[in-house]
Amino acid sequence: MADYKEAPLASRPKTLDPAEYFNLSPEYRRAEEERAAIRARLKRQYQMQLNNPLRKELIEDPALTRWTYARVHVLPNFKATPKTSLLGGLFGVFPLFALYFLFSSDRNKKEQQIKDGTYQRPYRLSY
Amino acid sequence: MAARALSKSGRFDKVYKLVIGSRSASGVSKGSLPGPYPQTPEERAAAAKKYNLRLEDYQPYPDDGKGYGDYPMLPNRSQQERDPWYSWDHPDLRRNWGESMHWDFDMYTRNRVDTSPSPVDWSTMSKTLLGYLGFMLLMFGLGEVFPMYQPVMPKQYPYNDLYLERGGDPEKQPKPVKHYEI
Repeated sequence: MADYKEAPLASRPKTLDPAEYFNLSPEYRRAEEERAAIRARLKRQYQMQLNNPLRKELIEDPALTRWTYARVHVLPNFKATPKTSLLGGLFGVFPLFALYFLFSSDRNKKEQQIKDGTYQRPYRLSY
Repeated sequence: MAARALSKSGRFDKVYKLVIGSRSASGVSKGSLPGPYPQTPEERAAAAKKYNLRLEDYQPYPDDGKGYGDYPMLPNRSQQERDPWYSWDHPDLRRNWGESMHWDFDMYTRNRVDTSPSPVDWSTMSKTLLGYLGFMLLMFGLGEVFPMYQPVMPKQYPYNDLYLERGGDPEKQPKPVKHYEI
């Protein structure tokens, strides 16, 4: 595995990351310690609530609430920049009109063929 | 129902007013929900604290109007990549309680998109797959252009090619059909 190469859909696993093994600077260690401290605090909070014998209700997860809220409230943070306008036009406005004209022209052509009598029906209308 | 509540005794009336006046204990305060993009360093620090991240780890999405606000940009790794042997609070989701969820968390669950490292690197995988598919397509194409099979002839039927069975006139004499050569 010494010659492992990353790819767009294949990340380098943490166990193969050389930063985990070589040149462990004090800053890196301090950062890992801080992250572990945050994790431990959250774990403690959760375990205290989970094992509380007087608890009757469900344990609410504020991270889940925040995630749901963020996913729903996208519009308040939306700004009409050139990029967003371009994307909106490309995916919303353009297909609407393009499909309209495509379908309408195709059907008009078929209608004209039926009126002229040149249209070959693939299936019988009646027996 | 409101009229009936008002017509009851004065004690019930006081309790009713108390219930309306107090805030419902849901646990979500105003400052703990996602907000707009953080402009000042104090806002960044507050947002990092809110999302349970270190200030250095907290990186919001770029403010280009796509609607992310101050939600942190976490690495795009699927849940399948996380350590299966660690004691997660939610083992099926491989996530701890209170940990900030990725924006595309529902995409990165273990049932869906997986960014796990592949056993062989991407170029070898694509080369093998495309090579095999290309070879098979080529061979089938060649087989269509140059067909090769056992030599066959049309089937020979007796009784003048089954003249009577095929509905031929019994009065008329059929044309004699010879399937052999001596």
